Amino acid sequence: MKEPRTKSKHELLPGTLEMLILKTLSIESMHGYGIAQHLQLLSADVLTIEEGSLYPALQRMLVKGWVLAAWKMSANNRRARFYTLTTAGRKQLGVEESRFSQMFGAIMRVMKTT
Amino acid sequence: MGSLLRRLLFLFRRNRFDRDLEDELRVHEEMKAQALADADGLSGDEARAAARRRMGNPLRLREQSREPWTFARVETVAQDVRHALRLIRRDPTFTFAALATLALGIGLNTAIFSVADGVLWRPLPYPNPDRLVIVLSSQQTGTGVRTFATWSPVSYDGLRPRVTALADLAAYDPIDAPLTGRGEPLQLPALDVSPNFFATLGVSPALGRAFHTGAAAPDDDRSAIVSDRLWRTVLKGDPAIVGQSITVDGLPRTIVGVLPPDFSFRPVIRQGTLPEADVFLSNRWPGDTGRNAFLFLLGRMNPGVTEERAVAELTALVNDPSIAPPGALGMEGARASNVHTVARAVGLQEYGTESVRPLLVILLGAVSVVLLIACVNVANLQMARLTARRGELSVRMALGAGRRRIVRQLLTEAVVLSLVGASLGVLLAWIAIDVTLPLVPQSVLPRVGGIMIDARVMAFCVGLSLVSTLLVGLVPALRVSRAAFGEGAALHAGATRTTGDRQGERLRTLLVGAQIAMTLVLLIGAGLLIHSFVRLTSVSPGFEASGRDGVVQTVRVTLPPHLYNEPERMHAFARGVLDRIHYLPGVTSASVINSAPFGMMFIRDEFSIEGQPKPTLDAGRPKIDADYFTTMGIPLLAGREFTARDSAGALNVAIVSERIVRDYFPGGPREALGRRVRLGDHGEWLTVVGVVADIHQRGLDTEVQPMIYVPFQQERAQPFLLRFVSFVARTATPGSVVEGIRAEIRRVAPDLPIEGTVTMDEAVAASVAAPRFRTWLLVLFATTATLIATCGLYGLMAYAVTQRRREIGVRMALGATRRDVLRLVLRRALRIVVAGLVVGLAGAAGVTRVLQRFLFGVTPTDPIAFTIVTLLLMAVGLMAAWLPARRATRIDPCAALRAE
Repeated sequence: MKEPRTKSKHELLPGTLEMLILKTLSIESMHGYGIAQHLQLLSADVLTIEEGSLYPALQRMLVKGWVLAAWKMSANNRRARFYTLTTAGRKQLGVEESRFSQMFGAIMRVMKTT
Repeated sequence: MGSLLRRLLFLFRRNRFDRDLEDELRVHEEMKAQALADADGLSGDEARAAARRRMGNPLRLREQSREPWTFARVETVAQDVRHALRLIRRDPTFTFAALATLALGIGLNTAIFSVADGVLWRPLPYPNPDRLVIVLSSQQTGTGVRTFATWSPVSYDGLRPRVTALADLAAYDPIDAPLTGRGEPLQLPALDVSPNFFATLGVSPALGRAFHTGAAAPDDDRSAIVSDRLWRTVLKGDPAIVGQSITVDGLPRTIVGVLPPDFSFRPVIRQGTLPEADVFLSNRWPGDTGRNAFLFLLGRMNPGVTEERAVAELTALVNDPSIAPPGALGMEGARASNVHTVARAVGLQEYGTESVRPLLVILLGAVSVVLLIACVNVANLQMARLTARRGELSVRMALGAGRRRIVRQLLTEAVVLSLVGASLGVLLAWIAIDVTLPLVPQSVLPRVGGIMIDARVMAFCVGLSLVSTLLVGLVPALRVSRAAFGEGAALHAGATRTTGDRQGERLRTLLVGAQIAMTLVLLIGAGLLIHSFVRLTSVSPGFEASGRDGVVQTVRVTLPPHLYNEPERMHAFARGVLDRIHYLPGVTSASVINSAPFGMMFIRDEFSIEGQPKPTLDAGRPKIDADYFTTMGIPLLAGREFTARDSAGALNVAIVSERIVRDYFPGGPREALGRRVRLGDHGEWLTVVGVVADIHQRGLDTEVQPMIYVPFQQERAQPFLLRFVSFVARTATPGSVVEGIRAEIRRVAPDLPIEGTVTMDEAVAASVAAPRFRTWLLVLFATTATLIATCGLYGLMAYAVTQRRREIGVRMALGATRRDVLRLVLRRALRIVVAGLVVGLAGAAGVTRVLQRFLFGVTPTDPIAFTIVTLLLMAVGLMAAWLPARRATRIDPCAALRAE
């Protein structure tokens, strides 16, 4: 059977995935699948988060102490592992946001120059 | 810091983590399947399958998720090492071949390095050893620069108080001294030293004190300092030994000190090194105002003083006749009085190693080449195995192993191999040094005591194993990162290939060719040394060391000066013993000489011929008794031998050698008879009564020296020359004759120790010990290299035959005969061998020049050695290829084609 190949190969800038996860978790705690869905939805399917990137990133953030993980019941009554932002994670989000906007602004300035 | 703590905690909760991750990913998969089922209307199973597909390689996902928690480096390294060890155990043939080759290569290098380090580089065990120098002098004469190693006591006394560049200037004189009164009489290696000797070295005794150095001389001629070795053995480690008396050289001496166990001072003399002294005797040589130069001078330069400054100052002092009287008479002859003398300062470390240094450097070069060949071999083996492991590696890549990971894995294997190989190598070196060092002639290696396997050598060995790791691991590892191991080539590899990994094979061929080239260079070096050795040993020494009427046996003694100071007593001693030797059973003829050929002694001096301009050459001046030439088998060309009538009161006579006749008496030997010659500047005129054939006095490779033989019984002016007495006897039963001579000497002089009993054959053999040793070593290295390179060629050809089994089968099916197949394989081998040989020949022609100084009668591009060795290696190479080639002819075409 043929697999529908709809995946867009939009690659993220290095480091942005963690920022996006932090942002997502700053709204509410979420499980891995939920994070991926949330990002795909909000970006209107431009950003497809692959499991191979998502889970290692989550582990890295656990190691760094930016998030905590706990098993909880999900909305549709499934046991799932929910990630919650810590204070350190919230601080990190601020750092990443300002760094990103700086970078983004810089790139845009370059691109607008004619 | 928090993250480190979390990671450490993880180590203990690994199982729970794995469970969590597993559950989490399963939940993820279910959610994804659910979403797919909802969106695309797939059935439950289909949706699950699709979800799983989209999530990619599950193992890799788990690996990657786990990675942030782990100490990845350490863990993968441990994993790689485990894997490498498993592989090494699984493939014993490969492992044995690789380890044996590496151990051989590293072992040889470690052994030679430890020797070179001990002899050349390891700092001497004194404080600031780089400031210690041996002071020599040299003069430019008509025949070249003559270097004088020794000084007279008068010169020493003149120099010591005046020289300002040196903090201290000590003198020493190596002697053999009998120790009596402590059990069995012993002949000990001893050193007469100036009182400041130990202060100059910067060493203090472990027990007692050093000699008093003040102007008052309470120690002179009365005290001794003994070595730790002597104290522990003969003196039984007596803690109260200081203050006790021992009898050395017939005189009582008070022991004032015992040296520390690690003290080492190896006196270097012209002919090599002497054993380390066991007794040090304080001496100022009072009253010795003669011209005899026998003191070696050891100086310690002041801090900040350059060698040039010290030399300049010493040179100025040496040329002041009021300080250093000219005409001092040393082993090398007399220092001319009217010629400018240049002082020289040679570092104590370097002194005596001039001849060894190039040899050791060459040997180091040779063993590095052996190691290189060994590494290439192992790299080649690795590569062959890599091709065989293609399947495994491809599967690992398909399962998600990164290329870097694979390369690291291969390098780890190389590291493990190298380290195990290095450990075996050190063991090998240790055994080699232990076994061979005692066999090494002392003339070859000074400072043997410094040779050991210690931290320095181990560090070198570890460095070597790193280098070999790179050589062994890098080439195969880089091959992996090339195209051959793409994931696509992966799983179906192995089945239908016929030609194998072409690029890899080309590289391997190149490496084998390089091995052959390097081997040829080593072999040619060995060949040159062998040819040179054959040339050397076929030189006739000029005397007949052994013949139909027996061999020439010598027995040497040194008469102690306190008992034999008058020439008459020495004459009487020699004549007394000699007269009895004539009557010993088995003695055909016998005589006496003070400086036997190929012995330690050779005394030269200027000479002149009456009515002729002064010759530029020096002449040897042995003192001999009647029948010397008959005994030695040296042909008499004209006139007569000395007889018993040429004694003290008779006409002073001499016998000259052919060399003198050739240069100064164009009319031939008869012309010389009746003419008069003189030794030194002021000697008496001696009438020539005979002419004898030339001999090699000091070695087969040395030039023939002019000789003026003088009757032992007529020497009066320089009695010290008569202290050294060698009895020579021609006999068919040397063993019993030695015992007889020993008994006769004991009868005349009961306390006199016998110093040496060698036959002239043994003396000649000892003189070529150094070249024989060098030749053996290089032959050993070259043979090792040949063995390794041959295995390399054999391996390559055997592998190629296996790889091309199918092709050969096809050829045979299509009508190729066995001869054709044989030719096919051999031609390929021949091409590699010939290419290697051509490169090797070019290389050898370039580098054999370094052997120049070790070659006798052979040029560095000796066509005989080059031709024979090249043909030999070609034959060996073809033999190595012959076996696989024959195997190729036995391939059954049906079987070969069906098997695939």
